[in-house]
Amino acid sequence: MVNAIKGVFITCDIPMAQFIVNMNNSMPSSQKFIIHVLDSTHLFVQPHVEQMIRSAVAEFRDQNSYEKPT
Amino acid sequence: MPQVKIIAKNFMDMVASLTAIKLDKLYNNVFICEAILRSLPPLAKKYVLQFLFTDEPVPAKDIKEWVLADGVSKHGVAIDRLIQLRIFTETVVTVDRKKETCYSLNPTFQKNLQKHIISGGVLPREPMNSNNAIKLPSLQELETYALQQWECFLLQLINSGQGEKLTGISSSMMKVFQRGLLSQRDRDGPRLTESGFQFLLMDTNAQLWYIIREYISNAEERDVDPADLISFLLELSFHVTGEAYNLNTLTDVQRTTLKDLADLGLVKLQQGRKDSWFIPTKLATNLSVSLADSSVRKEGYVMMETNFRMYAYSTSKLQCEILRLFARIEYQLPNLIACAITKESLYNAFDNGITSEQIITFLQQNSHPRCADRVPSIPENVTDQIRLWESDLKRIEMTQAHFYDEFPSKDVFDGACNFTRQLGGLLWEDSKRMRLVVKSEVHNQMREYLHTHSK
Repeated sequence: MVNAIKGVFITCDIPMAQFIVNMNNSMPSSQKFIIHVLDSTHLFVQPHVEQMIRSAVAEFRDQNSYEKPT
Repeated sequence: MPQVKIIAKNFMDMVASLTAIKLDKLYNNVFICEAILRSLPPLAKKYVLQFLFTDEPVPAKDIKEWVLADGVSKHGVAIDRLIQLRIFTETVVTVDRKKETCYSLNPTFQKNLQKHIISGGVLPREPMNSNNAIKLPSLQELETYALQQWECFLLQLINSGQGEKLTGISSSMMKVFQRGLLSQRDRDGPRLTESGFQFLLMDTNAQLWYIIREYISNAEERDVDPADLISFLLELSFHVTGEAYNLNTLTDVQRTTLKDLADLGLVKLQQGRKDSWFIPTKLATNLSVSLADSSVRKEGYVMMETNFRMYAYSTSKLQCEILRLFARIEYQLPNLIACAITKESLYNAFDNGITSEQIITFLQQNSHPRCADRVPSIPENVTDQIRLWESDLKRIEMTQAHFYDEFPSKDVFDGACNFTRQLGGLLWEDSKRMRLVVKSEVHNQMREYLHTHSK
């Protein structure tokens, strides 16, 4: 019988995918959210983590930029 | 995020949305007929001219035979447009006991246009004689006046709270214009909305369009008939820039309208000893021209360097405000604004809903004449970097989806793949291990499909 799982499908570049995989690995096992790593640029994750991933990526981006003081 | 887009819709879309009776009334005016003819898509224009001296209705079938097979969609658009504007009237005639749809031109429209083509157009009012002691401003002066007035208006529009009253536009009118561009929050004062930011980056004509559109749609609240207003504005666009026209040729409604238009810089009002007159500016005469080909090239003022620094030769406060939307203002000299485009300033802009394309077009449109001659006018590394920074924000794409595996056979899997592909819902497939991901929207259809096919 065909099996269906609800979730969020993520398309991104390879470094981003690695970032998300790494994020998943650093979580305690009860909070792991990746259901399947489909291939190097596609992931399938739990439906509720969309916002969490976005904010983590934004935070990562902010750490990498430097604003000149006025 | 709701996508609010300000589209500078054409005048004619507005005309088309009028009621039938009002439209028929509009066509009594020769100028409107001409303006509308100008605005039509090329094929529709051709049909009108072809029909111009035909008195009998022409069967729809015959018209369709005029076009080649690959022009059918254009034909459809043209006919729709003509019917929408009530230039074509549809009638059903019985020929040989068969019912056929026929088209004929709106008689008033036809008569007026015929007259116009044969005898040439006469302006709704004659310009005043230039010798009766009127000192007319030169075209150059007039243009400066128009742009100054417009800028004044824009500045008041975005700075609504602060700043003294600059133009004569009533505050209630101003509220109408600000609707949609500013969000009114009591605590931190009015703030520009996403569409407000986009509005500021548009070129003058597109902005003018937006404002005029608001002005017209608000007409009924001021007890002015929108049809009258449209016909007056179209009429105005046929006047000659820089000529003086006497005010006593206008009705009362038109005169009050004219006062508002003067505040926007569309006309300049002058008063002599005995009578007063108005002089249309370029902004007014460009009104009826379709948007695409009317973008007047303004003198640019922005110089962009390859090191992301930007020098804007401008004294205008408004332009400083606009640059502030996406750049970091470093210092200001009396005639120069020095700023830099940084990742942070751009992220700010992107947060406010401005896209990289809008910023780049704005920079290109406003580049200093010395830079504008260069190809490309904006250094390529800057435009590329702006786009890269934007795409950096969109590195992850997320879609609500369902994941399927454990298909009983290859046939069912392939069938399911094709089925979802046809629905446009297939996101990912792995034929080796028979797994696929589809959008959540098609999950229910997919379930039904699998139910019937997996038996």
